[in-house]
Amino acid sequence: MTEKTRHVKSAIMLIFIFFTVGYLIYSRIMAYTFAPTMKPAEFHGLPLWQIPISYLIDYFSHGWICLLFAFVVAGLVYEFVPKESITKYMSGSKVTGYSLAIGIAPFLTVCSCTMVPLFAGVLYTGAGIGPAITFLLMAPAANILSILLTGEMISWEVAGVRIIASVVVALAAGIIISKTPWGKSVEKEHQVNSSSSASRIEVVKPPLDERLWSALKFGGYLAKQILPFFLLGLVAVSYVEAFLPEDIVGAYLTGIGGILLASVIGGPLYTPTLVEIVLGKGMFDLGMSKGALLSWLMGQPYDVANALAVSRIVRWKVVLTYMIIAWAGSVAFGLIYGTLSGSL
Amino acid sequence: MREVTVEVIGVEPPCKRCQATYKNVEEAASALKAKDIDVKVLKMNVQSKDTIAKYGVLVSPSLAINNVVKVMGRVPDKKEVEKLILAALK
Repeated sequence: MTEKTRHVKSAIMLIFIFFTVGYLIYSRIMAYTFAPTMKPAEFHGLPLWQIPISYLIDYFSHGWICLLFAFVVAGLVYEFVPKESITKYMSGSKVTGYSLAIGIAPFLTVCSCTMVPLFAGVLYTGAGIGPAITFLLMAPAANILSILLTGEMISWEVAGVRIIASVVVALAAGIIISKTPWGKSVEKEHQVNSSSSASRIEVVKPPLDERLWSALKFGGYLAKQILPFFLLGLVAVSYVEAFLPEDIVGAYLTGIGGILLASVIGGPLYTPTLVEIVLGKGMFDLGMSKGALLSWLMGQPYDVANALAVSRIVRWKVVLTYMIIAWAGSVAFGLIYGTLSGSL
Repeated sequence: MREVTVEVIGVEPPCKRCQATYKNVEEAASALKAKDIDVKVLKMNVQSKDTIAKYGVLVSPSLAINNVVKVMGRVPDKKEVEKLILAALK
């Protein structure tokens, strides 16, 4: 392949990326809404089979650019983030470990098959259980796909608060667990002495057009993984919007009780990736308070499926500890955000 | 007959991308057999203590040629694997 062909290929892909980003920004400036616009009341007259269809059309006609943007960006970020930095810097000081966990986890963990192995890897290289737990908790809550979709569909205010809250909770859980006796024993148990492993990594950087193509392909792979279950989730959301009475939402999903309830159902209830955002938006339209919404969204790190996978690496005591800390964090931040935003 | 060891490092059970990497490596191996190069293909678990003691934290799928990690976190196609093996043999 000649240099010229490579440049042309890179140019085509870069143009595609700029159009995707540009169109999203343009839509934002023109204040187009990315979320479905049908109100819950409009679903009431529809026959049962039509509800999900109308909802899906409504959703995709507005939100297609969000999803496209999110997957393209996730793919690019994943490809261009220097993954060797984890290997090189993770076994450094504790501060480096925690900073790396917070800094890199959001960009790397969009693929669910890498999250738990990376957690194990971080633990085993001697970075310590603290940074490993921080890494684990940053992943589901603050990864790039979730944040982009939260920002586009709900609001950038909520997305920003979600990031801050996730960082605090992830750090707190990591630091606390690293001080507990059971956390320390796990750390000692899993210490592996890696002998100057930095010298064995010489990752080859492919030419730009191959990297761009790999990035777009990875975005497509993520979409293929996530979208089928996401669609099923949307069908469920459409029925919730149609049938969940607004007065129940008003009674149970607002106020302190609402925050507690949202934190409890948001966690263990397993939702396919990204569906918790759409469902959250649906409930928000039905009258859920901002505090309860944040609490609901922050439930991701302590879902049962996640916990089961992690329990195969560390003992249940550690898993339960981080679940409780994550839950407490979601309640605390729900209360803080709710009070500060006037929507408790 | 020149020899080279290629390790495909992924999750167990292998996810789609790990399987794709392994397949590409096997295809490259059979193509290189014609060039009188014997490629030994090994599957490693990214989470196992041996892998981590040897290489540290890796993002799967990763590829190591003669004990040096050359690819991390993406799927190299057959041509790239061949190129990397040939480069390692120089």
